[in-house]
Amino acid sequence: MIDRFLYLVSEGIRSLWRTKTTALATISAIGIAASFVVFSAVVGENISGIIQIARGQYEFQVFFSEDVDNIRAAELVDQIDAIEGIKSASLITKEEAADIFQREFGENIFDLLEENPLPPGSVLKLQQPKDKRIDVNPIIKQIELVEGVDEVRYQGRLISFIERYYEGFFAAVTALAAAILFGTVILISNTIRLSIYARRDLIRILKLVGATDRFVRFPFMIEGILEGFFGSLVAAAVSYGFVEGSNYFLSLFTQYRLVWQFQIVALLVGVIVFFSFVGSMRAVRKFL
Amino acid sequence: MISFKNVSCTFEDGAGIENATFNIEPGEFVCIIGPTGAGKTTFLKLIYMDIFPEEGTVGVDKYRSDKIKKRSIPMLRRRVGMVFQDFELLRDRSVFDNIAIPLHVQGVGMKMVKDEVENVLDRLGISDRRDHLPSQLSGGEQQIVSLARALVKDPLIILADEPTGNLDPAASLKVIELLEEINRDGTAILMATHNFSLVKDRGYRFMQIVDGEVQT
Repeated sequence: MIDRFLYLVSEGIRSLWRTKTTALATISAIGIAASFVVFSAVVGENISGIIQIARGQYEFQVFFSEDVDNIRAAELVDQIDAIEGIKSASLITKEEAADIFQREFGENIFDLLEENPLPPGSVLKLQQPKDKRIDVNPIIKQIELVEGVDEVRYQGRLISFIERYYEGFFAAVTALAAAILFGTVILISNTIRLSIYARRDLIRILKLVGATDRFVRFPFMIEGILEGFFGSLVAAAVSYGFVEGSNYFLSLFTQYRLVWQFQIVALLVGVIVFFSFVGSMRAVRKFL
Repeated sequence: MISFKNVSCTFEDGAGIENATFNIEPGEFVCIIGPTGAGKTTFLKLIYMDIFPEEGTVGVDKYRSDKIKKRSIPMLRRRVGMVFQDFELLRDRSVFDNIAIPLHVQGVGMKMVKDEVENVLDRLGISDRRDHLPSQLSGGEQQIVSLARALVKDPLIILADEPTGNLDPAASLKVIELLEEINRDGTAILMATHNFSLVKDRGYRFMQIVDGEVQT
């Protein structure tokens, strides 16, 4: 059994070598195309980290009505805290509002007005779902519906900008990856088709001496999988070059560096090998 | 071992065989003669079940053409050795590798493959050619390699389709003598040829295909 397996694997490698020009073209095409996916994924993962930091800065300030006292304000904060999408809500009492006023303007509100007209309020932090756009509008609407809320302030433009590009970027990378994986299936399938054509004498002889369909197909499957594997290694190498090149470029004007992520490359190798298997299977089922 | 019962298999151009009934027993040496296009190859293809009869039944060992499942055809072919006029060798593989193919197909271990191939190389007297490519051999030697490939799997019968068709007289005689030697060791031989003069006085059982009719 092991001997037969080793023989078939060696046949697959021999087949790859025999059609080396076509195989090289396929490996290069897969490698270069997939390197864009790896590079985009690495950049995306890095940007994702930056965006998470930016999201951590999202802050809503809620001002309650003047007639809301600190006890009522605490109840309102609990109510707001329960709204979906809110990570935390902290109470700013009238006294704390006065302290903030003093820190920001350097004046004591009691000295100025002999009373504290500042309403209590709340500072909210949002949850940070990864790989998902945060839509602040429904959250704002729900907060505004709470009785006693006078005004909600937030960095609307900044949040919209970040969220719009974050979602668009991931959609583009996903579409690119899907297109390249589909291309991989077609490329591998066509290469195996050519290989089947080039080796029709062998196929005929194998069938005449009693080879099963599985035995005849196996080396072609190995060939396709190897092409995908080598293609993904090329992609890893090329995208590593991209990352290093980008870091050199970034070093000219910032301290920020893209981080090379082995997990992304390993995942890509696995995915491409799987789709190569699919492409090979497609070809042998269709043409053998 | 091989039985044809009322077998008909014809083609659009009229070639083929009609209503053939006969048996071939283990250890026989049978020669099918007839002109080119008479249906000799059809006859052999029916035996290794590359084609199936329109009527009647072909039986080979325990396999019957009307009952065999597609997945059993490879098992049947492992019991039948085949030799062709144009040798059907892989040009990019050595003599050893060509002969070893049927053993790899059967899942024989590497050590056993080596022993079996070397045995058959010795038996057919081509040990000194084991590492040659087919292109480095004469036509006669290539046909002997083809014969070795058929023989290495210890078949019940060897089907030889015009095995001397591309060979000079000396090489033809050598191949015929090797087939006879293999037959003396117990393997049945069924050889198709249009060269009656080569085989007429050798004591074989003859079958002739005339206008699709198999005369035994």
